[in-house]
Amino acid sequence: MKNDNKVGLAQARAKSIAVAATVFLLPALLLITIFIIYPVIDTFVISGYKWNGISSDRIFAGMENWNALIHDEMFWKSFRHNLIVMVFSIVLQIPIGMLLATFLDAGGKKFNIFKIIWFLPYLMSSVAIAFLFNYALATNGGLISSFASLIQGKKATIDLLGTAPNALYTVIGVMAWQFTPFYMVYFIAGYGNIDTSIYEAAVIDGATRWQYIKHIAIPLLGPIFKTACTMSLIGSLKYFDMIWNMTQGGPAGSTELMATYMYKLSFQQFNMGYGSTVAAGMFLLITAIALIFNKAFKVKEDY
Amino acid sequence: MNKKVLASFFATVLAVTTLAGCGGSSSAGTPALGSTDGSAPAANASAGKQTDGKNLPTLTTEPLTITLWDIATEEPAKSAQEGAVQRFMADYPNITVNQVHQQNDNYKQQLVVAMSSGQAPNMYIHWGGGPMAEYYKSGFANDITDMYAKYDHPDFVDAAVAQSTYDGKMLAIPFGGLSGCDIFYNKTIFKENGLEVPKTIDELETVCAKLKEKGIVPFSLANASKWTGSMYYMYLVARHSGNAEFDAAYTQENGGSFTSDAFVYAGTKIQDWVKKGYFPDGVNSLTADDNQDRALLYDGSAAMMLHGSWQVAGIKTDNEDWYKENIGVFRFPEDSEAKAKGVPQDVEIGTAIGNGFSFNCFNADKSVNQEMLDACYVLATQYYNDDTYNQMQMEGGNIPSIKGFDSKVDDPNNKVVVDVFFNASNVQLWYDQYLPASVTEVHKNCMTELFGLEKTPEQIGQEQDDAMKKAIAGQ
Repeated sequence: MKNDNKVGLAQARAKSIAVAATVFLLPALLLITIFIIYPVIDTFVISGYKWNGISSDRIFAGMENWNALIHDEMFWKSFRHNLIVMVFSIVLQIPIGMLLATFLDAGGKKFNIFKIIWFLPYLMSSVAIAFLFNYALATNGGLISSFASLIQGKKATIDLLGTAPNALYTVIGVMAWQFTPFYMVYFIAGYGNIDTSIYEAAVIDGATRWQYIKHIAIPLLGPIFKTACTMSLIGSLKYFDMIWNMTQGGPAGSTELMATYMYKLSFQQFNMGYGSTVAAGMFLLITAIALIFNKAFKVKEDY
Repeated sequence: MNKKVLASFFATVLAVTTLAGCGGSSSAGTPALGSTDGSAPAANASAGKQTDGKNLPTLTTEPLTITLWDIATEEPAKSAQEGAVQRFMADYPNITVNQVHQQNDNYKQQLVVAMSSGQAPNMYIHWGGGPMAEYYKSGFANDITDMYAKYDHPDFVDAAVAQSTYDGKMLAIPFGGLSGCDIFYNKTIFKENGLEVPKTIDELETVCAKLKEKGIVPFSLANASKWTGSMYYMYLVARHSGNAEFDAAYTQENGGSFTSDAFVYAGTKIQDWVKKGYFPDGVNSLTADDNQDRALLYDGSAAMMLHGSWQVAGIKTDNEDWYKENIGVFRFPEDSEAKAKGVPQDVEIGTAIGNGFSFNCFNADKSVNQEMLDACYVLATQYYNDDTYNQMQMEGGNIPSIKGFDSKVDDPNNKVVVDVFFNASNVQLWYDQYLPASVTEVHKNCMTELFGLEKTPEQIGQEQDDAMKKAIAGQ
């Protein structure tokens, strides 16, 4: 490149960095625009129409869909289900993940086998997990019911997925089974990031393993906790695949989540307009909750 | 230089997105064209086409490609339907049929996505009812009333023509055969316990009580699928009021309501049966998709099952000897009280078309692409529905909805099914196909609540009324 006298070296360098950054960011930006930004905007646009999803004429409905959404019992019911799932996900997955990670961290290399076994559920696809548990929980010949029959000595039926309050908690349990390993690995990485000099200093000062974990490691993991909670929170608010394959929101809407409700409206009931309103409503609610959460739990990252 | 880099980046990104876009539409396996596996009798050109001498539109001699979507992922439907397409392509070598087998589970959603993105197939399977009307109103189904009147076609039974029609317009060609809805029962269990086939609902209840005493579950039902429980509801309504109350509730006019007498009767009866233990435990978590209801029949823990007549083919395939020895079928018993009041007892539940093909042959300016439509019409009426195809259908336990086939049925159970079907004064299409899509969802949820004793028959009636009123207002 020709170097003009008027341009200083620092400036030229800054310019070339800017060019390189642009070039490297463009593809990602383009993909994000096509697959995320545009669909989100379009969802909001469609939410103003009465549209069956296939017809070429959309009828502009103004705020009619939004008005309906605010008064839609089913939507708020599924939102409540989402909140329940969210609370239980955070309460179950993160502490258990943390415990397992602590155990593995303390054990070092000789516990590697546990690390592998415990991580397996996370490697399975949600659809496979859904089918696996559907068979295990089936009332006719399923693992649980058969086991109960064996113990009682007569045919016993344990109906976990077919009745109203059970189904939601069963699904939450399966979700915990699926995602806990993820947080386990996350916390293992967190432990790994703590400088060994801190541990050594603690040991020299006479701290026991437990004291080290309680007073040093856990406080240092604060930011990790926060990120894990945020991820779990967003993940459970937009959850879809495994629930869809296990219960399709049933029985009678008792495991209906916002995402399954949106899917049913848009693709099964020829109501793409209102389905988009639900999707847009989801977007707003999830963003709001995530923001509030981040504001409420400010964690200092320095030590 | 920058321009070049940018351009190549854009090109890469575009290529990636284009590929991603294609991925969805062609994921299902397309059979290699022209791979006649010998099973289809190749009608070669010298022997003439099998359409020769028939009154049909003359098809184009120019190259033409038709995209066809079906759900024939499994045998025997797969060979029967691929055979029909192969015979057609052998007769019209210039026409290529791109036959795509979609998974049944998410087929309807796939179709909606394809239609909304301008990738809709030219010829596609559906089940009639509300969705068919929706496809037509949105401009994705050709009106073939005139063609059907003008050209040759199989002599479909009236009910099949009626179910292929919406708003006085013929929109589909049936090809899946008819399905009745009857009670399958274990003959051995009946014989061992000295039970007779019930003729009235009262007798049916007596049979149930006796079975229950012996520790046998009277009805096998897998109601996680919901449309299965709906069969009991539909039949009890039909026996109590014929078509009158359902038709009235459907329009919500002249006092019509899902809370009217027959619906409350049906709901109350079902809940009474649930309380008496006439259905299996955990009924709402058993699914019909993996045949958990059939499984209860097989291991002898249940004695009867109200189900679609496709069960004949299913049970036969699972174990033909056991089927012949044990399985009988009878029509849903009559309501003697209603009968005394003059309510017709011959309104049956089922579908006369099973599946239909609708055609989506339009030019870019939305005018009809007659050339392609002609080809689709010939394919659907003359190759599907031809002798070879119907023969394969019969062997698989399906009954073509074409006049005359009722006399060719040799399976004793299928004979009962056909007799019930052809003697019906009216065949009511399954509610979950007939009702508007939004009401269907509510109806299905109501079935869970009804069998789960979570809501009263009046409450679910009210919910269905609300949904129906909303659907009518939204049209």
